[in-house]
Amino acid sequence: MPTFKFFDLNVHAYPETEVPVEELVRVARRYGYAGIAITNYDEVVKGKEGEQLPPSIANFAFRGIEIRAKSVSELKRRIRLYYGKVPLIVVRGGSKELNEAALKNSMVDVLAPQHGEHGKEGLTHVLVRYAAENDVAIEFNLNAIIHGRRSDRARILGKMREILKFVRKYKAMSVITSNAHSIYDLRAPREMVALASLFGMRKEEAVHALSDIPEGILEKKWKKRREVEII
Amino acid sequence: MKMKRAKCKGQNKFCLLRFALLLPPTLRERRRYLAFELISEREIDKRELLKEIRDSVYSLYGDTGASESKMWLIEYSKKEDADGNTDRCRSVGILRCAHNKVEEVRAALACIHSASGVRLGIRVISISGTIKGASRLRRQ
Repeated sequence: MPTFKFFDLNVHAYPETEVPVEELVRVARRYGYAGIAITNYDEVVKGKEGEQLPPSIANFAFRGIEIRAKSVSELKRRIRLYYGKVPLIVVRGGSKELNEAALKNSMVDVLAPQHGEHGKEGLTHVLVRYAAENDVAIEFNLNAIIHGRRSDRARILGKMREILKFVRKYKAMSVITSNAHSIYDLRAPREMVALASLFGMRKEEAVHALSDIPEGILEKKWKKRREVEII
Repeated sequence: MKMKRAKCKGQNKFCLLRFALLLPPTLRERRRYLAFELISEREIDKRELLKEIRDSVYSLYGDTGASESKMWLIEYSKKEDADGNTDRCRSVGILRCAHNKVEEVRAALACIHSASGVRLGIRVISISGTIKGASRLRRQ
């Protein structure tokens, strides 16, 4: 059986949460990950986004940022502010307009859509098409499945199933993340694959979304290709 | 010589009776034993954990799914933490399930995030067809 390098692209650590990066790295290493990306909320790490991680964990943990904006203009401003300074830009989705602005912007690496709102159409097939064109990966946040119960979880799974259908149709990139806020929220890669099967993701797709795609995003594989094409 | 023969006869009868009472191999259920590791904020009781596992399976797959998975907690004990970290508790255990429901049980275990207000995370270390195999892999 081939060995895969697994990555978790959405983990929150100190200063946003109480848990230090070293602790998360130790648990993630034990679980069999090849790397994690620390994506703290941009308001919390304002001005410190360029800070380097300690050398002992620098080859395992990657610095990223999660942008939570309320309006489209604010989102665009913040993306421009952080682009080039951090290796990974994640945008927390919201309304349709906000998602559209994030997916049309090729500076964004990952969009984390929200599945919690009642009746709101956050991500449509048109937007997933933009994601495929601009090489923006769409995140499947498994923390919502782990912490949700009954009707909440049923709704989230339904939304994820719908998004997965669009992702397959337009061949967009998808990543599976734990969105962990503590070491107890982290799950091993095989568990993540089993959780992804709850909303209909096949094993090969889930492994691809946990290993090859996150690795490519961190190496800027697709973005580099885009830059070459533009030149 | 006569004595010996008589003894053998008796033994055969006993063996036959024993095998007649046992399920034939073709009707026996195929099982898988999952060795798992649990990290939690404080030590968790076996009863609390079993309740959480059952709740998770019932919540995800319903009554019929739970009956098909044939899940049972075989063994559960605290493990001394090799890292020397005091604020984290590590336990190991063995869980039995039907051979074709391993992924479902794995997903149900991954869905458990707390027990009696204590945060926890479960990871399956290995899967085996026998308890002996699972406990050997668990010790490694």
